[in-house]
Amino acid sequence: MSDEQLIHEILSGDNSAFKALMEKYQLQVFRTVVGFVHSKEDAEDVTQDIFVKVYQSFTSFKGESEFSTWLYRITVNMSINFINRNRKNRLLQSLEDIFHKPSGEKTPMEHLEDSERDHRIRKAIDSLPEKQRMAFILSKYEELPQKTIASVMNTSEGAVEQLLQRAKNNLQKKLTT
Amino acid sequence: MKMKTEQYIDNLIRREKQMEPNPFLSTRVMATIEKSQQQEVRKVPVWQAVVLAASIAAVAFLGVTIGNSYVDNASPEMVMNINDSQIENLGYYNFADYE
Repeated sequence: MSDEQLIHEILSGDNSAFKALMEKYQLQVFRTVVGFVHSKEDAEDVTQDIFVKVYQSFTSFKGESEFSTWLYRITVNMSINFINRNRKNRLLQSLEDIFHKPSGEKTPMEHLEDSERDHRIRKAIDSLPEKQRMAFILSKYEELPQKTIASVMNTSEGAVEQLLQRAKNNLQKKLTT
Repeated sequence: MKMKTEQYIDNLIRREKQMEPNPFLSTRVMATIEKSQQQEVRKVPVWQAVVLAASIAAVAFLGVTIGNSYVDNASPEMVMNINDSQIENLGYYNFADYE
């Protein structure tokens, strides 16, 4: 069933159509949220909130853009709101990630180095300016084409290209110093 | 160095992309939606609460008004007469007089 048909069913009160729509998009939403929050548990909570919000806001979806674009907009905005609300908890969580990862085949020293490097990369991504971070995550985690990213962010393709280039340069700068 | 940094970033993103949500996530979301719908049904509309509050206030006001409208017509003389020692001959009960 197409998105339009599912939306029509949802608006006429069919909750199973909403479940079908959610199952179609939940992985994309979840992956995008992971790009922002870097944790499975938080990503699940935010994904749940996003779909509840989508259900409640269906009447405001006018169909002017594609459903997926509208959904990505909600996803990005709610992920950023979540990060802003939980800044303090996230710092504690990232410290926990460094010291409490299960040991694999690597030596504890190698493991600590890897965790430290991951932590630095996550911190660098999180410290990018908001628009650069949005473009970077939609491009890298979701592999969306620049045209789609431009419509999610309400901007031009050229602007997205610039944002991605700047994000890349900023990450290089932050991680090599 | 630049190449290696890019590899590290791509490696982290690849690992994070491999995370999968709980298979019951959609069931969880549907349960949350149904719960919120039930709460909405149970919620008392605002106008009903306002009407109820206004009725209670009107009844209280009416009670106070009726209470204040009561006028005590008893005169002081009549109050004096309540003492029945004046209207009843207590000497009648004096056992010694009629023995």
